[in-house]
Formats: sequence, C-alpha cells, structure tokens
Amino acid sequence: MEKYTLKNGIKTIIKKNKNTPRTAIVMYVKLNKDETKYGLYYLFSRMLLKGTKKYSSEDIANILDENAIDISVDKKADYIRFKLLCLNEDVNKGLEILQEIIENSTFDDIDKEIIKIKGEFQADLDSAKIKAQDEYYRTIFKNHTYGIGRNEILEQIDSITKEDLKSVYDEIKYKSQKNIAIVSDFDKEEIIKLLENHLNGIKSEEKEEFKRTSAEALESNRVSIIKKEDANQAQIFQGWQFPSIYSKDYPTILLLNTILGSSGLSSRLFLELREKQGLAYTVRSVFESFMLSSHFFVYIATEPKNIKTSLNGFKTEIDKIMKEIISDEELENAKNNAIGKRQFYTETNLLEAILRGYYEFLDLGWDYEEKLINSLKSVTKEDIIKIAKKYFSTPNALCILAPEKYIKEANF
Amino acid sequence: MEKFKITKINYPYLEKPVEIYERECGHKIVFAYKKGELINISSWVKTGSINENDKNNGISHFLEHLMFKGTKKHKAGEFDRILESRGAIVNAATWKDYTFYYVTIPKGLDEKNFKDTLDLHADMMLNPVIPDNEIGEPFDLNNPDIKVKRERHVVIEEIRMRKDQPWTLVYNNLNSNMYTSHPYKRDVIGNEEIISKITREEVLNYYKTHYTPNNITTIITGDLNPDEVIPMVAEKFDFNGRENRNNEVFPLDVPVKELKIYENYSQINTGFLMFGWLCPIAADIKNSTLLETIGIILGEGASSRLYRELIEKATKPVFNIVSTDYYSFRDGGNFFIQANFKPEYKTEAIDMIKNQLLKIQTNGINENELKKAKKKLKAEFAENSETVSDIADTIGSYMTICNNLNCVETYVKTIEEITKEEVQKAAQEYLDINKSVISILMPESYKT
Repeated sequence: MEKYTLKNGIKTIIKKNKNTPRTAIVMYVKLNKDETKYGLYYLFSRMLLKGTKKYSSEDIANILDENAIDISVDKKADYIRFKLLCLNEDVNKGLEILQEIIENSTFDDIDKEIIKIKGEFQADLDSAKIKAQDEYYRTIFKNHTYGIGRNEILEQIDSITKEDLKSVYDEIKYKSQKNIAIVSDFDKEEIIKLLENHLNGIKSEEKEEFKRTSAEALESNRVSIIKKEDANQAQIFQGWQFPSIYSKDYPTILLLNTILGSSGLSSRLFLELREKQGLAYTVRSVFESFMLSSHFFVYIATEPKNIKTSLNGFKTEIDKIMKEIISDEELENAKNNAIGKRQFYTETNLLEAILRGYYEFLDLGWDYEEKLINSLKSVTKEDIIKIAKKYFSTPNALCILAPEKYIKEANF
Repeated sequence: MEKFKITKINYPYLEKPVEIYERECGHKIVFAYKKGELINISSWVKTGSINENDKNNGISHFLEHLMFKGTKKHKAGEFDRILESRGAIVNAATWKDYTFYYVTIPKGLDEKNFKDTLDLHADMMLNPVIPDNEIGEPFDLNNPDIKVKRERHVVIEEIRMRKDQPWTLVYNNLNSNMYTSHPYKRDVIGNEEIISKITREEVLNYYKTHYTPNNITTIITGDLNPDEVIPMVAEKFDFNGRENRNNEVFPLDVPVKELKIYENYSQINTGFLMFGWLCPIAADIKNSTLLETIGIILGEGASSRLYRELIEKATKPVFNIVSTDYYSFRDGGNFFIQANFKPEYKTEAIDMIKNQLLKIQTNGINENELKKAKKKLKAEFAENSETVSDIADTIGSYMTICNNLNCVETYVKTIEEITKEEVQKAAQEYLDINKSVISILMPESYKT
C-alpha cells in the first residue's frame, strides 16, 4: 500500500495486487452538513448517473454496460462513496465517465427520478422486515439524520429542487474532503497518471468546517409498534446507542457483538434462542458504527405468539453478559473468530479498496486494520463485562411489528 | 495409494487448470487453485426437491439443517464452534437439484485449518447421527402448548419468514403453476404440515438413499498443493463400501399450452408480478447461454430494454422495478420477467411487458446489444472467479447439474460465437407469450 496526494489535493492510497483482472477505485466524500431536506443527498447520488453535458442518462447506461463497467454512487450516513469497478482494460474509459459525472452532471428531470425513488421505496415498504427496521432507526435516532428512513424521505423528497442539488454539487466538487483508494494490477505510476488526467477538475478541502448535528442520547426507553394483521412473524428490533467508531471501546464492542450474536452459528443468541428454544430461523445482533454515534441491536423474526418469550430471551442474554464474566475459552474463540473473519473483508480488490479507503476517510489511517487486530488481541474478559454494563444499562429503543392481538397478549 | 481418473479443465480467469479427480467409488474431488489466505471446502450432493414427493416435500432442506446436529465423534454445535472460532464462515443451502455444505476459512499456519476443517467436514458429511432430541418431537400444528421446540420449529419459522416476503409469494405461486408433473413444481422448503410430522426414520432413510459416493462432489479451492490435498480428501471421505444408486429420471415437463394468469392478494401497497417460462436443460449450454443473453438485453441493468422503455422513458409511472432472471436446472431452466408496479396499472403493466417481448421476437436485437451482453457475461464470470467461495459455487453447480465442467472450458468460446439471429430464434422458441405463466400479487383492496 502506498500513499500519494494528487495535484488536486485528494489523498490517495494505492495497492497493487498482481494477476487480478478487475480494478477497483473508491472515492469517499465527507458529508459535513446535515441535509436541508430529507432525501437530498440520496437524490443527489442517484442524479449523478442521470445525465451530463456530454452524455444523456441513456448514453451513460449504455457505455457502462457495453464495457461491463460498474460505477455506483452510494449515499451512506457520513459520506457519499463513488465506486468504479471494471476489467483492467477498461479503466481509462471508466475514469472518463467518472470524471464526466463528477464535473458535468446536469440534474435535469429530477421529477422523474423522484417518482422512481418513491415507487421503489413503496415497494421496499411492502417487506415487513424493512418496514420494522426503518421504524427502529427512526426510534433510536429520533430527529437525527441517522434515523431518516424511507417514510421521512417520501414526505420531503417532492420539495427538493434542482438548485438544492446544484448547491450540494458545488460543495462536493470544490470543498468536501475526499480520499481515494485503488486496488488493482496497475503500477503506481501508471494509475496515478490516469487519475491526474481525469480528476483534475475537482478539489479536496482538508479542513472544511464540520457542521453536523450530534445524535440525541436516549433519556428513557422508547417503544414503537407497527400493527400488521397478516404478518406470519413478529419482527423485533431492540437497540442501544453506542459510542462512535473513534471510541477506545470499539475493539471490545466488536468482540461483544461476536459473542452475543454476529458470529454465525455459534453465538449466544443463536445457540439459546434458535438452537435451544427453537424460536426463530433468524436471530442475531448487529453493531453499526458511524462517525457521530453508533448503535447495537438484537433482532429476531419469530411466530407472533413468541414476542414475550423472545424479549425475555434477549433480556436474559444481555443481563448475563453484563453480570457474568465470560470464560477464557469463549473470549479466545471470539477473538479468533473476529480476527479470522477479517480476512474476508479484503478478499477482493473492491472489498480491500472499500475497507482501506474507509479507514483513510475516518483519518484512522489505511493500516488501521492491522492496529485493530492488535487491539482485538489485547481485549480482556474484564473489558467485555465493563463495556456491556456501560452501554446495555442505558435506555433502549424497541420496535415490534406484529398483528395487534399478539402485541396486546405480550403485555410488555 | 488410491488411483484417480484425472481430468484437467482450463478455467477462465484462474491461474491454473481446475483438476477433477474421479474415484472408483464414484465420489468426485475437484481442486481449484486460488492464491490468497482463504480456502473453501464444499461438498455438493445431487439431491434437492427434485427427489421429493407430496408426502415428504421439504425433507432435503430439513436434512440439511439436521446434518449440523453432530456425529459420533462430535456432538451438536461442536462443528460450528470449532470452525467459527477460527474465523470460518460455515453454512449450507438446498435447492431443486442439489444440497451443498461449505466452509470458508483462513488457511492457518502449516495449513492446520485446512486439515482440521477437512476432518470435520468429511465426518459431518459421512456420519451424521441426527438425534431425536435435536429434531424435536413430531407435533400437531394446532396445539398451542408445545413446550420443547427444536430444529423442526426452526425450519417452520423459516417457512413463516418466507410467507412474509412478497417476492417469495409471487415466485412460489408461479413455480407451482409452471409445471404439471415434474417435482420442480414444489417449494424447496416444504410446508409446516409435513415438517411438523416427519420422522427421524424418514430423514435417515432419505440420507442413506441420496448421500451416496456417486452423488457427492467435494471441491477444494485455495492456495494449496493438490498432490498433498487430494489423497487427504480421499482418505477422509471413506465411504466404507456405501452403495451407489441411480438417481431417478423424471420426464421433462412441457410448457403450458395457453397463457395462464394466477392472482393472489396480500396486505401490501404495490403490485408484484412474474412471467415465467420453461427453458432448456442445463446441459444445453448453447441455448442456456442464449437465454442468459436475452436476459441481459431485456432486463439486466440500466441500459436494458425493459428499464429504458418501461421506467426511464415511461409517459406514466406504471413500474417501480422491472428486470429479468434466469435459473439453470438439470431438467430445464426457467426464464423470468419480474416487476413491481402501481396496482392501478396492472393491465397496462402486463401489456407493456408483452409488447417488449414481442419486439425482441419480431425485430431481434442490434449489434451493440449483442456486444454488450457478451462483455457482461464474460465480466460476470470474471467476477465469480474472485473469491474462493464463488469459484467453489460455480464448480459445484456445474458438476451437479451438468455432471462435468466441460462447458466452463468452452464458456468464453460459446459466448463469442453467439449471433443476433440465434438470440432472436431463442426468444421466439422459448419465450412464447402463449406458453407462459403469470403470477401476480395484489393489495387486498383490489380483491373483487
């Protein structure tokens, strides 16, 4: 891995993986302001592939598909991520299109795109799980951008104008902090020359003022219910706010998650609620970290009459990890599990570019992965119980989707 | 030392040829070299819902769950715990033609993880005990007071989960109506009534019947030396004289004789639909590839005809989503067009899709579309050669539904030889609207 700063100020990391047929280029653009209208950044990221001064939306789609070039623009909680993935022979073409959308997007026909987004979201919301999950985010991150779901976007997206999008575009092009990660079979000199040729129309500002609102802490438990009379399963999400990815507790939380419910077929939740009690096919815990906050949630999809039993099961496992010190063997297994699985995160050029680029974006350094692995090795049993107590004793957010009769019966 | 019949296959985008080692007992071992720290060990069994009937539908999938419930050497859960504590991803899947089990794991120092994983994987494949206390007692679905819930309840929860997925509902309704007699017509997962009642004896008999040497292909993928690895695999996969059996052959089903439309209702706000056609057997690589080509041109990606014409250029917003898919099966693939639409435009939605299909059948495709499809097919193959698990999946799938990897060797050539005329002819031959089935899922408010 080598570091290089392009003439436009964009910090770039480059890794050569020999004999790999596809090149991955990822650019992270930091979001330094809250969006003024829900859905603004999402619509912006979609509109970037919908036409430029030189190419129509159809031209872009044809050129990309004819060359099997995959360019996507993903709006995430803290950044917008540009991804270019293509066969090595098509990198120049891919960068040409990337340059065109970054420099010359026209943002015409936004009404059409808004109609499409609304339709897609309505289709998504026909899934019970998506509906409940959106509600859970809204509940745990109330009034914060991390809690914005499809329903909020559906409410406000119609008010977004072309001028709103152009304003975001100017920020993104000339101000926002950016960084690039490339993993490919190309030599450093060769790929830098290509980047300098194609990305000289944008700039990166290292010290742009950060104006995002902090996430409001939960002061008491919050409960949200969705009644769905034909649901065959109850969807249950229960979550706690956790510290951001910059917290020193981060490695311990990763192991806590491994032990509780992220580790496939051998986690505590899986063994207890699925294998012993037969309550569910899907039961797990998820730790999702952001720049300003994070959250840790447990999830189960179960027959509606099992709501109470499942909540008790969650409570038992959470209480247990807060009160009982884990065994040396369980800790060692969790460490080996978490560290071993990290090899999957860099298995392909794209995955490695995404991971290393993300660490650079966070200012943790591209080699944070190696530091994180060392930190995971030094976590103790006492750390696990301390962190579990620290965060699981705070208020939580609970969201349940189920037929009304079973919600009443659960009487929680 | 055991003798093997060895076949080498030039596999696109891999550094070295893939090697197939055929054993006298019928068990096949495939080795694929892939540089990197991760290795994959998989075993693919030639059984799935194809070998089921109305009385035991779902047994292949139920058995897949129960295979993880221990052997004489390792009690239930040990396999998962040992491997996951080394960073492995462990799982299995069941489909119409096959059931497969896999472990992807870091190689470890001195390839220790490989050796231990192989030991555990072979033990699981050959010696499952399927204990009663893990299966759980057969029970009455109407009895609300079941206290002890075991694996059969987990599978029933999986069935419930699928009933809340609109796409699964619309697909299942389509699938059951596309076939008249072939076992493919059944849902792989089965139903609650059967799973709640099935006995251990039935499951064990099913295992003995189908998990035979000639029905299993074991695939080893990773940065390993085949000269060392293959004898180890053969040693661990000691079938101990287990008898082979010939798989049952089913007559191929024929397409419906006229357009059939089936409509169901659910508490949803948008409409879901799928068009489905019966297509050639998987071993017919030429025609299967032609149908994949049509799929790309018609409904894959932002430049596809359906997306451009029905969404991007639409004068009114009928569709939210529209795309195509192709499933390859031993006894005949399926071509699908799937869409999510505004329910008030149901009739228009069906007509608009029919019209696009008619255009491809009447006017064919242009040179650019063909060029694009060829490039995409090759790029997709390259993509599936990037990870050990994707490589193993591709090999396992071909070895199971086509019985060999010959088609992989000639895949790029097959793609390059495709002509516009062949694509048009395949669209006419296989995608006749009068031989299709349409499944629709509508909001309950549209029920008349």
